[in-house]
Amino acid sequence: MKLSQRMILVLTTVGLLSGCFLAGVGLLTEKPIQMNKQKEIREAIFEVVPQSNSTQKLLQEEELSVYAGMDKNNKIRGLAVKSEGVGFQDKITLMYGTDPSLTRIFSLTILEQSETPGLGAKITSEKEFLRFWQNKDCTQKLSLQKPPVSSPEKLSSSEVNTITGATISSRSVLNIVNQSLKEVKQLREKGKLLSGEPNAN
Amino acid sequence: MPTKPIGQEFLKGVWSENPIFRQLLGMCPTLAVTNAVVNGFAMGMATTFVLLFSSLVVSSIKNLIPKQVRIASYIVVIATFVTMADRFLQAFFPAISDNLGPYVPLIVVNCLILGRQEAFSSRNTVGRSLVDALGMSSGFVLGLLVLSSIREILGSGTFLGTQVMGDWFKPWTIMVLPPGAFITLGILLGLVILIEQKSKSRR
Amino acid sequence: MELLAIFITAIFIKNFVLFYFLGICPFLGVSKKLDAAFSMGLAVTFVMTITAVVSWMINHWVLLPYNLEYLQIVSFILVIASLVQLVEMFIRKISPPLYQALGIYLPLITTNCAIMGLALLAALKNYNFIETVIFGVGSGIGFTLAIILMAGIREHLDLADVPGPLKGAGIALIVAGIMALAFSGFSGMIK
Repeated sequence: MKLSQRMILVLTTVGLLSGCFLAGVGLLTEKPIQMNKQKEIREAIFEVVPQSNSTQKLLQEEELSVYAGMDKNNKIRGLAVKSEGVGFQDKITLMYGTDPSLTRIFSLTILEQSETPGLGAKITSEKEFLRFWQNKDCTQKLSLQKPPVSSPEKLSSSEVNTITGATISSRSVLNIVNQSLKEVKQLREKGKLLSGEPNAN
Repeated sequence: MPTKPIGQEFLKGVWSENPIFRQLLGMCPTLAVTNAVVNGFAMGMATTFVLLFSSLVVSSIKNLIPKQVRIASYIVVIATFVTMADRFLQAFFPAISDNLGPYVPLIVVNCLILGRQEAFSSRNTVGRSLVDALGMSSGFVLGLLVLSSIREILGSGTFLGTQVMGDWFKPWTIMVLPPGAFITLGILLGLVILIEQKSKSRR
Repeated sequence: MELLAIFITAIFIKNFVLFYFLGICPFLGVSKKLDAAFSMGLAVTFVMTITAVVSWMINHWVLLPYNLEYLQIVSFILVIASLVQLVEMFIRKISPPLYQALGIYLPLITTNCAIMGLALLAALKNYNFIETVIFGVGSGIGFTLAIILMAGIREHLDLADVPGPLKGAGIALIVAGIMALAFSGFSGMIK
């Protein structure tokens, strides 16, 4: 056999074998990987919408998705809004739960961030940041309390706390929430969000 | 080619030809994922897996591959195992896979792996290649563990996530950030050379 | 994210070398002389831009439509390797002076993890076509900036009295660490 033929033969064989092999690996791992991705979102939804244990996607825009969180009787307990925006270092992706009529934020959770460890990254900390986000009135724009306060009771219902040394990260989170709330409300007015009334099955 | 005793073949990867401290190979993962011990360890294991199986395959098919297309074939073999490692982590250890991000697929361009195929596996028997791969990976894992332990203990005050430093300790956040990686590795390289010099002059 | 933000982020804030630790080999290896560093930077920027375009096309026209994501690593690495070969032949034909300047650096680029990293990161971040190109150009410029600064410092370092064991790679890494520290001051520039 000529050298060039042998070269082509070897490369094709190696390529084909690896292709077949990878197809097998791809098939085997596809399901678990999909499940992992969904599981992460579902767990976040159940965390921010109290008493929910099933969910349904209501809306998906480029940087915004809205899910309904339902309890075991299929009653809508609240909406979970997933949104993203620019933080101090890079993108921040977060999710918060509201009641079905979009008047109150139950709680907030951060899905993805790469803020500075020890400073901005505290936005993921329950003690330092997230507990100051519980039960907020979101009929109006939320505002930032600065200088920071030591306990959630010292904030009014439309104020959220700042992390010392990480004002930009705190403000980024606030802006993402305010912006996405505005969008969700607009979308609801346009009738693109089919929810809001409890008992919708 | 003179053949070394098998034990020496293994040990050279750990110390005298340590991929990180001596050959400066595989620098990207070394610096990037060593901000916590668990990440460094996972990266070490993934690299070990890829190196072992690539060496196994390359050394068993070395006689079938024409010289001109060897690099391309090695790359395909390596990329296949890297994909396997990546998918496996994504499927069963999603948290670790998230932490390591693009650095698992990047094992494919880790010069350590292609380097060992070219320099060793393509010229030696299957057995010797496996021992060599095992030695090199141990050296690599060792380097990652040392670097990530230093960075995690000083940078977060923890080891494998458990608090090891007392309350008096204020974490040096800079250690888990990129500058800490460069500076720690720079100082470690100096230390390794210092130890070598000391041990030589004693002899 | 807007295009300008992607561009600035790629150059300063998430510099390929100083933040992602990609392309460390050439960064340490080819940073002893300023002009060599500059040529290397140019070659990398050039290949990065093309890689950004081609990897995007493969990802969006072949891999994603047919659910072949598991072939991503294999196809990217093969494409990059052949691309570098093609670019090398092309430049040799079209512009011999440019080949003189970049020639010896091009083969080194194949195993440069910065190129592969670019293709993977752009896919991971779900950038659209324009964003991917901007990301590619910006990352290349960021790499060039880092390697030129490094070379400038190292030329002066030759005259300095560095403690014995740290000579060479050790001090280079420490310098890189200080540079990374300086560059981290850029974060927060984009709001």
